[in-house]
Amino acid sequence: MDATTPPPPGGRTLHRFANPGRFLRISGRVLPVVALLGLGLTLTGCVWGLFFAPADWQQGDAVRIMYVHVPAAWLASFGYLSLAICSVLSLVWRHPLADLAAAEIGPVGAAFTALCLATGSIWGKPMWGAWWVWDARLTSVLVLFFLYLGHVALVRAFDDPQRGYRAGAILALIGVVNLPIIKFSVDWWNTLHQPATIKFTGAPTMYVGMLWPLLLCALGFTFGFVAIVLARTRAAVMERRIRGLLMARAQEADAR
Amino acid sequence: MTHLTYIMAAYGLTVLVAGVFAVDAWARMGRARRRLAAIDPRANR
Amino acid sequence: MTRKRRRLILLLVCGLGLGTAAALVLTAFSDNMVFFLAPADLASKAPHNGRTFRLGGLVEAGSVEHTREGSKPVVRFRITDGAANVVVTYAGILPDLFREGQGVVTLGAMQTDGTFRASEVLAKHDETYMPKEVADALKRSGHWDPKAGAPPPASTWNTLLPKPGNGG
Repeated sequence: MDATTPPPPGGRTLHRFANPGRFLRISGRVLPVVALLGLGLTLTGCVWGLFFAPADWQQGDAVRIMYVHVPAAWLASFGYLSLAICSVLSLVWRHPLADLAAAEIGPVGAAFTALCLATGSIWGKPMWGAWWVWDARLTSVLVLFFLYLGHVALVRAFDDPQRGYRAGAILALIGVVNLPIIKFSVDWWNTLHQPATIKFTGAPTMYVGMLWPLLLCALGFTFGFVAIVLARTRAAVMERRIRGLLMARAQEADAR
Repeated sequence: MTHLTYIMAAYGLTVLVAGVFAVDAWARMGRARRRLAAIDPRANR
Repeated sequence: MTRKRRRLILLLVCGLGLGTAAALVLTAFSDNMVFFLAPADLASKAPHNGRTFRLGGLVEAGSVEHTREGSKPVVRFRITDGAANVVVTYAGILPDLFREGQGVVTLGAMQTDGTFRASEVLAKHDETYMPKEVADALKRSGHWDPKAGAPPPASTWNTLLPKPGNGG
């Protein structure tokens, strides 16, 4: 978009946050609240899940791994969804903050996906009898992990950051196909992984004494994810401003 | 508790990953803020 | 504005194309995406001549027997999917979740005597998470026999006990 044209009516709300100064001010106020909520809810949920929630009649105490595995899995998918939304904002509306946010979501999403895979593996060994199987659910989540890694590498692979952002956004959007595959893999194909316990329709097939700590942990993980991404994006905005100032100063020095 | 080593491994890994990412983000933010303040005195935050 | 709209439409068209392609590919390959065969599939799909494949289903109630082959302890059980069943033999450590009525996935090959020799037995967990007290209460009241199949609808038990557990 040309710098001279005023922002169109539709894009005005979006571009309010394109102003880096305004983003830093608002995010600086929001970040402590989000971070504390994330820490508090996660701690409460984990302590509840570890020490107060009942053991499962078959799994015994190994069921407690669920309180970190399931939120990590949800955040792996939700994180990718947010990456895709940033990519649309970047490709269609050329939103400068969306580029920075996407580049910062990548590594965090990859970490949550890795955590999901690792904790699932740790649960799978004693319960299933195998660390890993190539069923549709596990394989599609592994693909998600590689999509994240690909995005992380692609965004940082170009000398011109704009080209990296463009390539990363396209990769991220292609990868969105994987999200419904992950969600419905356990329904479409027969897998070793169990189907969803908490469904869009019908009662959750989980005892409430286990459900509450799980939901607390999920909420806490969500706030934690947002807090880490927000903090990284704040840093990225400031780093970009530092680069801009240094470059302007160098040009000034050359001109003199 | 049954499966105690598995549970400890899962939670330990979670704390480790979350801790590393949180501390890194915090440190990076602090670094950027200090550098920006040193370069641009008008950035009064 | 028009450039933006053009980019948006381009993106939507690409997305539509990609989505269709993915759906077609998944439909085409859906037969190859099965992780295991059920006993009823064996007649039509099972690889013969000693090729390895995965066989899955429920461990039939009352079919598990621990025997010996020479000095080696061996477990024999039937895997059923309701329509057909197959006798499985396995020498090795069973996973914690293995029990009668549980879903299992085994890796192995058909033998000449019509039994399935497994080199690996994996237990499949279902989507229910239930404390021991609730499972016992359901069993005692006759609402559920874990050996016979899936538990009753979740809304009948997921808030069953007034006291939410007593720690681990």
